[in-house]
Amino acid sequence: MSAGHKIARCLLQLMLCWFVPAGYAAEDLRVLLVLSDNNAPYQTFVNTFRQNLPVHIHTTILPVAEDFDAQQADLIVTVGVKAADRVAARSTLPMLAAMIPSNTYVDLLAKRRSARLTSAIYLDQPWARQAALLHAAMPERHRIGVLYSPGTRLDMSALRAALVEQGDTLLAKPLHNAGSLFSDMEEVLVASEVLLAVPDSAIYNSNNIRNILLSSYRRGIPLIGLSQAYVKAGALCAIFSTPEHLAEQARSVTVTFAQTRTLSAAQFPKHYTIAVNQEVARTLGLTIPSAEALRIQIEKSSGSLR
Amino acid sequence: MIKKQHTAIALLYLVSHTCYAADFSSETDYYQELPVVLSASRLSQPLSEAPNAMTVIDRKMITASGFRSIPDLFKLVPGMYVSYYKGSQAFVAYHGSTDQYARRMQVMIDGRSVYMPLTSTVDWADLPITVDDIERIEVIRGPAAASHGANSTQGVISITTRDAGWMDGKSISVTRGSKGINDVAARIGRRGDTLDYRMTLAYSADNGYDNLSTPPKNIPITQPKAAGLLNNSFDSNQARLLNYRADYHPNAVDRYDIQFGLNRNVQAVGWTDSVGNPVHDLIANTSFMQLGWIRLLDNNAEFSLRYSHIGQDQHEAFTVFSLANQSVKSSRDEIELQHTLPLSESNRLVYGAAWRNDQVAAQGYAQALFLLYKASPAYSSSSNTNEYRVFAHDEWRITPQFLLNTGGMFERDALGHQNVSPRVALNFHVTPQHTLRMGTSIAYRTPALAESSFRALQPGVLFVPNATVTSPGLMPERLISREIGYLGEFHEWNSTLDLRLFSDQVSNGIFHDQTFKKSFVNGMSSVYQGVEATVKHSFDEDRHVTVNFAHELARSNAPSLLSAGYLKFVSSAPWTNDILSGSTPRDSASALYSQRLSGDVSFSAAYYYQAAMQPFDRGPIDFQPTQRRMDARVAKAFNQGGGVKAELALVLQNLFDTRYTEYVANNVFNRRGYVTLTLNW
Repeated sequence: MSAGHKIARCLLQLMLCWFVPAGYAAEDLRVLLVLSDNNAPYQTFVNTFRQNLPVHIHTTILPVAEDFDAQQADLIVTVGVKAADRVAARSTLPMLAAMIPSNTYVDLLAKRRSARLTSAIYLDQPWARQAALLHAAMPERHRIGVLYSPGTRLDMSALRAALVEQGDTLLAKPLHNAGSLFSDMEEVLVASEVLLAVPDSAIYNSNNIRNILLSSYRRGIPLIGLSQAYVKAGALCAIFSTPEHLAEQARSVTVTFAQTRTLSAAQFPKHYTIAVNQEVARTLGLTIPSAEALRIQIEKSSGSLR
Repeated sequence: MIKKQHTAIALLYLVSHTCYAADFSSETDYYQELPVVLSASRLSQPLSEAPNAMTVIDRKMITASGFRSIPDLFKLVPGMYVSYYKGSQAFVAYHGSTDQYARRMQVMIDGRSVYMPLTSTVDWADLPITVDDIERIEVIRGPAAASHGANSTQGVISITTRDAGWMDGKSISVTRGSKGINDVAARIGRRGDTLDYRMTLAYSADNGYDNLSTPPKNIPITQPKAAGLLNNSFDSNQARLLNYRADYHPNAVDRYDIQFGLNRNVQAVGWTDSVGNPVHDLIANTSFMQLGWIRLLDNNAEFSLRYSHIGQDQHEAFTVFSLANQSVKSSRDEIELQHTLPLSESNRLVYGAAWRNDQVAAQGYAQALFLLYKASPAYSSSSNTNEYRVFAHDEWRITPQFLLNTGGMFERDALGHQNVSPRVALNFHVTPQHTLRMGTSIAYRTPALAESSFRALQPGVLFVPNATVTSPGLMPERLISREIGYLGEFHEWNSTLDLRLFSDQVSNGIFHDQTFKKSFVNGMSSVYQGVEATVKHSFDEDRHVTVNFAHELARSNAPSLLSAGYLKFVSSAPWTNDILSGSTPRDSASALYSQRLSGDVSFSAAYYYQAAMQPFDRGPIDFQPTQRRMDARVAKAFNQGGGVKAELALVLQNLFDTRYTEYVANNVFNRRGYVTLTLNW
């Protein structure tokens, strides 16, 4: 397309805008971002989301999810579970729920009066990717231990299938009760070679993490974490998506929506980061590849080179 | 109305919030802040990166060994000599020992130095911990003065007790066995959001060695009678102890370690046929307190401050013609601060300073001294000494293959000597699985108060130092150590090999001058050379074995000191006229096998071997022939349900009853066994 054509096209668009009322301009899109909270991860999400956003996409931010009361927009992007729940229950507008764990999506759909035009960008990694990390980081360790609260509704059979695919086995133990955390944990540690953390705040919280890490360290069993904070705390490694990763993906879904007015199916994060605590690896006598080398191996195994 | 609405919203928020917390995962599970748990001070250095040869005895090995006495655990360290002067008076020495005090090793519990100032030795029976309170032991074989200070000339034993949060609940264990073995321990532990603590209350008793009625080692009966071997020894021991450890972590960056403990130990000492040291009780009350603060700084840096206090009060009363008594009160206060600072991705610096104050007040009264020697029957002395040290240690990963450890310490010791102890070691990872290490270091040992102010005439077993310095010019012993180490991991065979060649040269060695002076002097030179190896192998996930071996040759100027009359004892080892060489076991080995069986049953067996040797300051009657010993342990765990767990364990020591003798030939180690029942809930 030559420069002349471009100018002509712009002029044509300008003329069209002139006659069509502003609110109904074909490419104009009003996006309402509803945040679960106003602190760091959500702010980072917003900042990244708005970077390089086409000019015809207009964003409004609602920093407190409770303030959402069926405000109008062409697309509502919710950030976090709380915002997603609130919007799902009160609005039938097209909705993209970003930064939600995949196992909460079914409930979210149930809350929607119309499941039409609902999508999500999950926060958690697909099990296959998690399994690929375990295999790439510690090919000699095959018994993967997981302790989880029965209420978390984590899909253990899917995790088991993903691990079996890699030649690993899963020892998944449901937490007996709140008081039995450490005795249950000991049972998992005794029978495992690796402890895999799951998003379960009854087990993995800032109070318990200390004794969980110390118990596993005493037994020479590495913990695979859920975030950078886990790795800094003493987990061996973690694969996770940052708010920036999720925001980029949400932006590209939004741009597509602006063009097609359709939402693709709910998706796992496309981009992720791997963090490795080499200090912990050395102490446990493990030789673990660098984060970069692990990424290459994982991408090879998933057959997608990016 | 508005207020009500707000309350309702707040309630709704709370309900929904707890709902997320309990039942569903949310993004907060991923983006929550967590405290740094495994910080630099928590992480132990891997063997392949340590600047010294190091042996680690972990919890699994401790359990598998079946030992109920802490010093016995060091039989699992290659080249370590563990022996007993009495049933409860153990000593642990590397490169042999010149007497039963084994003064040349640093021993620490959670960083607190526990060799006591007077004789610079460890009273193992007086430690306020039990074997079950230990999480792991790291033993540095070779000098480590650059990082651990005076007295680390031959090596360093570093005991780490269980974390404050290791258990959440209660446990009771009862042990009964032969030789009067009778132990009871009660433990309680609690894990909290900001405070973890654990406490042990224990009683431990045994009758020590059997009183000999027949001579060991086929010695003609006339000789043991003359040497006082038969029916003359009592060495029972009862210890009551308590220890408490709390870990207070109010926030993500500060951690406080609070510990205290007590031990009241009563042991039978002396000999029925001794005039100056008849059988009597030695009573020791030992207490300690330790406060530690660790603050995590940015970039994985760490600041730590530790204060500890140890108090020991020992006394004995006995009859030498008339009633005599002696008492020794010693105390130690120590403050250490340390800053760990990563200078770059590949370089980490640790530096710090420490101050230590040692006080001893001792006194005795024995009318016999006047009757026999016209010496004053009452005697006493006290001492109050300070020492300071500053140290720095740098760990530099020059390339992924080369790791350079350099360190040094400057100290001003209790006697005013100023020493610099440098160390340099280069670790070369030929491949990630194969590491070569070369190191050299210089270390000093400060003379003990018992050596510099020696009292020759003294009844009983306690040592009351002389009020005046008897060896005014006594200098620290100096040791130059060189070593080459190899560490290999053989994944295909599930094995590791740790090999070390060493040459340690001691100058200014301190020994007891047997000429008319009867005091401690410098002047012994010795060289220790040898090879040590540790092989670990896993047959499968349930069967593991560790084998240690040491071959060591020592030589010294002892023969010339002997001919000049400085030494009293002639070597009765047929292979050498050098008693120092004779007192160093030439070959020693140990093997520990453990196996997990079905039905919650575990089995372990251990074998210990030590070649014949002649203790340095004992007569030919105490010649120690070759020691061979086999131990076994079988345990079964029961899960009672309802959170109650039990374990029943049987330990048999010296299975084949080889009846070997210890440092003192009266101590014959024959077969013994005990059963332990532990309940946890």
